[in-house]
Amino acid sequence: MAKKIKDFSHESLQDKEAIANYLKAVMKGFKKGEIVLSDDEDELTLTPETLAKLKIKAEQSKKSQSLSIKISWSSDTESSIDDTPLFIDANKTK
Amino acid sequence: MKTPAELFDPLRFLIIEIHKQLQSLEAFLETADKELAEKSLARVDYIDNFQITLLNRTAEYLLVECRKASDDDIQILTQSYQHLTHSLKELSRQLERIAYQALNMSGFKLLQKPALAKALDTLRTGLELIETAMLSETSQTAVDICRLQLRISKLCQQQLENYQERLKKGQQTQALLNASFIIKDINQLGDGLLRIGEAILSANLGQSIKLERYHSLEETLSALDLDPNAPQFSITSMAETKSGCTISGVSSNDPTDDELLAIFKEGQKQKLLDEKKGIESWNKKFPGIAPKVYSYHKSGNKAALLYEYLTGETFDKLIVNLDRKNLEAGLNQLFSLLLEIWEETQIKERHSANYMGQLKKRLKDVYRVHPDFDVRGFKIGDVERISLESLLSKAARLEKKFRPPKSVYIHGDFNVDNIIYDPLEKQISFIDLHRSEYSDYVQDLSVFMVSNYRMLNFDPNVRKLIALTMQGVYEFGERYAEQINDQSYHLRMALGLARSFLSSTRFVLDEEHAKAMHYRGRYLLEQLIKLNTKQHTTYRIPKEIFRE
Repeated sequence: MAKKIKDFSHESLQDKEAIANYLKAVMKGFKKGEIVLSDDEDELTLTPETLAKLKIKAEQSKKSQSLSIKISWSSDTESSIDDTPLFIDANKTK
Repeated sequence: MKTPAELFDPLRFLIIEIHKQLQSLEAFLETADKELAEKSLARVDYIDNFQITLLNRTAEYLLVECRKASDDDIQILTQSYQHLTHSLKELSRQLERIAYQALNMSGFKLLQKPALAKALDTLRTGLELIETAMLSETSQTAVDICRLQLRISKLCQQQLENYQERLKKGQQTQALLNASFIIKDINQLGDGLLRIGEAILSANLGQSIKLERYHSLEETLSALDLDPNAPQFSITSMAETKSGCTISGVSSNDPTDDELLAIFKEGQKQKLLDEKKGIESWNKKFPGIAPKVYSYHKSGNKAALLYEYLTGETFDKLIVNLDRKNLEAGLNQLFSLLLEIWEETQIKERHSANYMGQLKKRLKDVYRVHPDFDVRGFKIGDVERISLESLLSKAARLEKKFRPPKSVYIHGDFNVDNIIYDPLEKQISFIDLHRSEYSDYVQDLSVFMVSNYRMLNFDPNVRKLIALTMQGVYEFGERYAEQINDQSYHLRMALGLARSFLSSTRFVLDEEHAKAMHYRGRYLLEQLIKLNTKQHTTYRIPKEIFRE
């Protein structure tokens, strides 16, 4: 199985209101379980899992301030193992 | 032990030179003839040469032989030669020091004592035995060499006490002090002999061994009518446990039979005694569930246990080998066994597992390995994340409200590698039984689940099987909880999982994996303390937590 890495990145200058809108779009995507990112050429759909790693980092220097939020999760693919449960509750199946 | 000429010959020369050094020293002490002391000191240069030759030859030998034979054997053998070389050189250095001190000492008569002469004589006997011990088929002579240390030590002690008595009288104090120092040096010659004997023992047994350990091996094996010197079986070291015990496998040297005969475990007396008691109490309740104990032997604060080697695979092996079929069969066998155990051993007393208390005790050790986990609380706007310590206190308060409805006899250290499944016999056995007690059945289940997660294997298929195993155990426990009307099963399971996730990172050095476990533990506790009373009965652990 070839490992394909798809990426998407975007950088621009925005005002506070627009930034809040971007954050809202991300929020909405999380609630829905699907975040679609696209540009003229390509489209990338992320499907957040129930659990994800959240990393918040803030920095302040004389010249600048920054806030980065990184959310990552592992996607459950690439396994060829049979999905059926290892314990079958006799009472539940009947 | 093997005596290849390129190593054995220079070693013999080295011994001969030290022998000469010792003889001249003995003669000097007897006659006070300073020329003899010089003669003794003159041997040192020859000894240095042989030492260097030997060290070079052992290095060469290791390089050449490793290409031909199994690495382990050659390594142990060369290590033994290195130990022998170093110990012999150390002996020579001590003899040198004794000669110097004696040369410059007033009150020489203090050194002309029978005990002192006997001690040096014993050393000479030891030196003379080395060749025989190395060439011998058995280890008896090597053990004899080791034992000479005791004799030397006794003689020195006796002489030292005599000096001390005289010191109290206040005469010749300087000379008496000098003589006492010389006695200390002579005493150390005995330690050198001990190390020489141990190096030969190690080469014979194919593993590094201390005399103390050799004795327990000898005693425990005699219970099986086996003799550690007999060529019909061999001992291979298998593992060191987290509790500091060493484990060796005893196997037959018969090439048609490569099965292990028994397991030899050696370590702190209390640990092994607990284990022996655990095995016995399990076998009494469920005959055959734990290995048979062949013998137990104690000496000082050390002990050794020889027990049956069980055939089959531990659960981690079944997972890593992606043996889904046997894993499933094994798990279901384990589940029915657990039901039987819980049924048989249940008692009315409600012993809480005290998960949060257990975790609190281990937190320091966790931070020692992962200082990054020791963080203060965090707040962004109104959203707050409290420190782990505060989280623990809150969760502990919650835990007090949810005791198990009854207690059962639990394994106490229910790790994947402590449960063995034999697919042929369809039988489950338990090992490492030193922590068994009456407690919450959820403790064994949660420890088992997290020990699966803890495995350092990131193959997607292995991770999938791990997640399925954890899920299976969780659901099996849920089914049992329903049967016995245990309403706080899910909460206690979350507490148990959190405890194991958070505390067992102290054994995980892979930083990413340790983080994954730490975050899961915290996540569970954060979930728990947010629940209101109504949600306490509806709470379920999200199965996503079992995935990597």
